[in-house]
Amino acid sequence: MNTIELLRGGFDSALSWTHLLWAFAGVTLGTAVGVLPGIGPALTVALLLPITFNLDPTSAFIMFGGIYYGAMYGGSTTSILLNTPGETASIATAIDGYAMARQGRGASALTTAAIGSFVAGTLATIALTFFSPLLASVALRFGPAEYFALAVLAFTTVSALIGGSLTRGLFSLFLGLALGLVGIDQLTGDARFAFGIPQLLDGIDVLILVIGLFAVGETFYQAWRHGRDEPEVIALQTFTGMSRQDWSRSWRPWLRGTAIGFPLGVLPVGGSVIPTFLSYSVEKRLSATPEEFGRGAIEGVAGPEAANNAAAAGVLVPLLTLGLPSSATAAVLLAAFEQYGLQPGPLLFSSRPDLVWTLIASLYIGNVMLLVLNLPLVGVWARVMLVPRPLLFGGILVLASLGTYSLNASMLDVVLLFATGVVGCAMRVHDVPLVPAVLGLVLGPLAELQFRRALAISEGDLTVFLTRPLCAALLAVSVAALITPAVVKVRRA
Amino acid sequence: MTRQMSAALVWVAVVAWAAGAAAQPAVDELRIIAPAAPGGGWDQTARVMQTALQRAGLVRIAPVENVPGAAGTIGLARFIGAEAGRRDVVMVSGLIMLGGIVTHHAPVTLHDVTLLARLTGEYEVIAVPATSPFRTLRDLLDAFTARPESISWGGGSAGGSDQILAGLVADAVGVSPSRVNYIAFSGGGESLAAILGGQVSVGVNGLAEFAPQIEAGTLRPLAISSAERLPGVEVPTLREQGLAIDFENWRSLVAPPGVAPADRARLDSLIAAMVVSPAWRESLARYRWLDRYLTGDAFLQFAAAEETRVRDVLRKFAAGQESSRTSPEPYPWLVIAGLLVTGALLARQIVRSGRGQSAEGSGRAPVALLAAAAVLHLLLLERAGFVLAAAVLFWLAARAFDPRHPVRDGMFAVGVSVSTYLLFAHVLHLSLPAGLLAGWL
Repeated sequence: MNTIELLRGGFDSALSWTHLLWAFAGVTLGTAVGVLPGIGPALTVALLLPITFNLDPTSAFIMFGGIYYGAMYGGSTTSILLNTPGETASIATAIDGYAMARQGRGASALTTAAIGSFVAGTLATIALTFFSPLLASVALRFGPAEYFALAVLAFTTVSALIGGSLTRGLFSLFLGLALGLVGIDQLTGDARFAFGIPQLLDGIDVLILVIGLFAVGETFYQAWRHGRDEPEVIALQTFTGMSRQDWSRSWRPWLRGTAIGFPLGVLPVGGSVIPTFLSYSVEKRLSATPEEFGRGAIEGVAGPEAANNAAAAGVLVPLLTLGLPSSATAAVLLAAFEQYGLQPGPLLFSSRPDLVWTLIASLYIGNVMLLVLNLPLVGVWARVMLVPRPLLFGGILVLASLGTYSLNASMLDVVLLFATGVVGCAMRVHDVPLVPAVLGLVLGPLAELQFRRALAISEGDLTVFLTRPLCAALLAVSVAALITPAVVKVRRA
Repeated sequence: MTRQMSAALVWVAVVAWAAGAAAQPAVDELRIIAPAAPGGGWDQTARVMQTALQRAGLVRIAPVENVPGAAGTIGLARFIGAEAGRRDVVMVSGLIMLGGIVTHHAPVTLHDVTLLARLTGEYEVIAVPATSPFRTLRDLLDAFTARPESISWGGGSAGGSDQILAGLVADAVGVSPSRVNYIAFSGGGESLAAILGGQVSVGVNGLAEFAPQIEAGTLRPLAISSAERLPGVEVPTLREQGLAIDFENWRSLVAPPGVAPADRARLDSLIAAMVVSPAWRESLARYRWLDRYLTGDAFLQFAAAEETRVRDVLRKFAAGQESSRTSPEPYPWLVIAGLLVTGALLARQIVRSGRGQSAEGSGRAPVALLAAAAVLHLLLLERAGFVLAAAVLFWLAARAFDPRHPVRDGMFAVGVSVSTYLLFAHVLHLSLPAGLLAGWL
């Protein structure tokens, strides 16, 4: 049987009423947990596992797939409306999305995010359907040297995010890198900069920095401004839809975001930070008006939102074809497969084709459901801006604390949350950009670890970074990305 | 959020209620701590226990709490500190925790808790990608003894079962474990990807993780760490290839320090009933875990022997690692220097520009109130419970923005904290501190 026939069989099964109901339950729950800071799809699926034990595996996986995709849709909402991303995937969205919301264009930002997520989710699911085995074999060619080069490439995106002052941007970056030093050195197992505190041994969770800097930091900053300035009146221009201009500015970023996000999602390392920020910096570079970025450029929402959804679909490629979990959620899904006595691995497609193809078909259906669910909600969400500020920020702080405590059940994490909140407020007051700090915390340890792994495997031979073609190519692209803007500037001058 | 979320929650509540509506159980609540993130072996063990205990009607409710990090030593430290003397909580532990205690120089050990029972074991497999030039263990070990560093061993985190086995093998063929070029990956898919892609020379992992790849022919198993060949697994043992090593990644259960003898006896009988329950037996087969139930003095002796073995091999690994080429020395100091230099430049800019926007300082009062709210929240969270701490945080934060509606804000504060608590603690069984209101909500 060829892929089309198998997929049709999957649709026949997924379009039954019970399966549709589970898919709907999944996407609804997923959207809800995506909106809450800190509560992600991994935790939700883990919590539901014992409850779903009596379900048949197909229904359970349809629901889990829905939760997974739904969380990606829901994540953008709080980023855009409140500048409080709840996970790393939606930080890039917050930069221009929040600027748009403050100009009263929140509904446009939410709409481009929802449609972009749908476009990317659907295209990426098509790619997953037809090219999984091929992509998986390419992903295996990435070793530590290539991951190091990829991290270097991702670092070049920092230059697009640094803003007006080089000193401030670099300070933020070094702050993130320094926080990334804390914890066990993975290669040797030695503790570094943990100061004898057991809770610090595992490092500082990037979610704490994200929720602290953005959600808590924004609350403190708004309080600080509240006492100084007149409260900002946000005129809501419209509750629905995108203008014709919004459409024409969005569709290319959607496609480019998909093209960037999907292959990077397939790679078993990195998560959603690298694809979203690569997409953001590509959009800024290609834009005729790069100065608009950071002040409400719709491309800066459309691209990263498409990229994170495409990456989410990409994560399923190594999981389904090789049995490799490459994100926290994928690890939980793998455990769920095992709970049902299924072995994800190279043989899953041939041993349980019914399950795999029903799951893939339900991903298509889930995407449509999410679009139908989220477009009407745009108007509802946009009205969140009208909730009295005191209640809104009170609620944000409570949810931030709850989400952080639920990560590791650690009081120290909640202390760190409020401490980074104060730091985030001070950084806002002094115009220090926040995003480089998050990138430093994510990419610093990744680059260092992969660099040292590569050297250990090559027995200390530095030429390994140049003799491996993929690695050398990625490094060359990074150098070009850094040099080109300067060259262009010189030529124009 | 309201309508769609409440619909989803009603559904979750119905399913949860249906799943929990079993016979009248002997024990009301037993918390199970998994000192690892969701998805790993300890988490799976905890969740299988949860299902088995609840299904067999032994315990009414057995919520799993994840306290991840540092090979379980973070969970261990917390367990000893926060749960001492409690009778309604157990923690999953095992060989990897012994390794973590040594590798991370943990200030606490398994001597500080009450060892209850060993539950399961998993054998380890040494394997190479199908395209590897090494056809047999002999091929691999010949290359390894000739030039140890040229063989890179890929496996899970440093100090874990994979590294311990690599060290035992090196020791057995007369190579110092400190010369094993062990490349630690953060478990899960990362090490398997590196092994499948041929990024490392050889991989070490549990049988369950490797089995699908071996069946599919993408990995070639060279040896398994069991004493005898396993039925249905065509992999030669280390023993039959001349290495006198029996090794398994065992998992066990511990209770807090200072458990009263009567409570200990109650836990012992609970576990004894669990390990013979159908749900537990089914899960063992499903996850390919070995039944390694062992209690009392026999388990204490076993644990002591394993501790000696692990300590010994990991010390040999550490000897001479200081001069290793993987030393991280320059990078951290570069980062710290960069932070200090940019920080100093930034401070100078701020001072020169007349202390920035903050000079007027009229925003200080609301920020001070918010900071006070945060401090109170932190003080109350584990002492008075989530509901009170969250209500205080909400109410003070709302007042920081607008002090004109204390009653409205208060009502919302109570409403939001109580409803989030009920939602997460009771519907989703997320562990939140109940504190003073423990009996009420």
